[in-house]
Amino acid sequence: MTETQRPLPHATAWSAPYWDAARDKRFVIQHCTDCDRPIMYPRRFCPHCLNDTLEFRPSEGRGEIYTMTVQVAGPPSGFGDRLPYVVAVIRLDEGVQLMSNIVGDDRESARIGDRVRVDFETVEDGQTVLPVFRLERG
Amino acid sequence: MKQVKSAVVGIGEVPSGKFPDRSELEAAMIVCREAILDAGLSPRDIDVILPVGALANSHWQVDLVFSRLCEELGMLRSVKMNCQVMAGGATSSSVLTVADALIASSQAKRVLVVHSDAVGSLPKQRGIDLFATTGVSEEWEAPYGHNMNAVGALAAARYMHETGTTEEEMAAVCVSLRKWAELNPHAMYRTPLTIEEVLSSKMIATPLRSRHCNMLADGASAFVVAAAEDAASITDSPVYVRGHGSLVTHYTLSQDTDLAKLGFVEAGRQAYAESGLGPKDIQLASIYDAYPVWPLISLDGLDLCRGERAGAFVAAGETDPGGSLPMTTNGGMLSMGHTAVGGGVAVLVESFRQLMGKAGERQVPNLVNAVETASGGTWMDSHVTILSREAA
Repeated sequence: MTETQRPLPHATAWSAPYWDAARDKRFVIQHCTDCDRPIMYPRRFCPHCLNDTLEFRPSEGRGEIYTMTVQVAGPPSGFGDRLPYVVAVIRLDEGVQLMSNIVGDDRESARIGDRVRVDFETVEDGQTVLPVFRLERG
Repeated sequence: MKQVKSAVVGIGEVPSGKFPDRSELEAAMIVCREAILDAGLSPRDIDVILPVGALANSHWQVDLVFSRLCEELGMLRSVKMNCQVMAGGATSSSVLTVADALIASSQAKRVLVVHSDAVGSLPKQRGIDLFATTGVSEEWEAPYGHNMNAVGALAAARYMHETGTTEEEMAAVCVSLRKWAELNPHAMYRTPLTIEEVLSSKMIATPLRSRHCNMLADGASAFVVAAAEDAASITDSPVYVRGHGSLVTHYTLSQDTDLAKLGFVEAGRQAYAESGLGPKDIQLASIYDAYPVWPLISLDGLDLCRGERAGAFVAAGETDPGGSLPMTTNGGMLSMGHTAVGGGVAVLVESFRQLMGKAGERQVPNLVNAVETASGGTWMDSHVTILSREAA
């Protein structure tokens, strides 16, 4: 049985710099050039002041796990061969949040509040690179 | 306090479950007929019909938008407007609010609301994939394997972390709902369930096991809303819409900064204020569930547990049949079945049924006031409605 391919992100004009950076293994966060606030996910206009001039700034990609689950069974199409995988909401040190996977052999030992750092995972199509997170231990 | 403008005067419902031989159209026709007859009205007494969204079959969904039910029910050239209201799981509270507003502004006199869907008859993987799109960002979250069971799990994990709620208390929500479903002939699951059975069922997405997760079901329900001043002449058991409050807190779950509370405190405050009633006046909590964490968040936010933690309150049996605060007496989506948008509509219709005194074996005695909640997508919004047998 061939499994359906996992869904891949389709970049928009305003999110393309985020995905392009990921392909270069750089993590960036969108900021408003007027009110200076960080924005996640990338938006067309600043959701705080509706300014239309936004820019991407480099980020260390560090933060903590706000919540997480280990998906053990019943995944959506395209994820059957990845079980068990960890879906987490990461609260970055910049104060914004995003969803990602916790990866690594120790992923199932992750807990809410654990410190994590960004890493990059090239998916099956070879073109798409997803920011993922690993536990910062020690 | 808001002046009461509308009242529910009739209800209809079919059993939830897997009914591959019952089409969405047939189920819709049965529940509309039942609701109209329950109110003692005829189809041409209805001036606005608000069919809510359906997910399983796109042609049926389009039929609902394009007035098919008006033609089937003999309402041509009498109904003024056929207009869909759709807010996912929050459609129940949302559509009642829209009906109430249409009546309050004299745009409608008698509104028929109907839901009919057949997500229970979808192949299992199609059901999982369909609900992996509802409130899940295609660009930002679907690529990480996000899905509806993960939604219930991510919120449960955060709620347990912040409140100290235990796995046993989470399981107690499922058990309490099942006790009510045992008394509901329309429920999908009616055999007794124990805490041990929940905690030994297969792990799906930590901390949720298979018995913590709802099952998709086919189902349909309908109700008729009338002007408050006409209600008592239509039926001897009108249910008055006393107050409503709501707040949108996210589209994608990852963007909610207070996942253990959502917007129920704010929505509850608004609904209580509009109704002139408070937590102590409520004898029935019809709480949108789908996963066990959501009723706990709602009970906490609405201050319904007499200062106790919601998990401890439910585990002590307070929400069971015979308890001090009967909760979601149709068994909720966890035991009655998740009929998509209809899961919330069924919880709302159960509130009406109880307040009308038509709940049979599970009738809550001496009932005057009830609170109903709903939420859509990945619990994007928090809705609270106060309903009463009394107009003021």
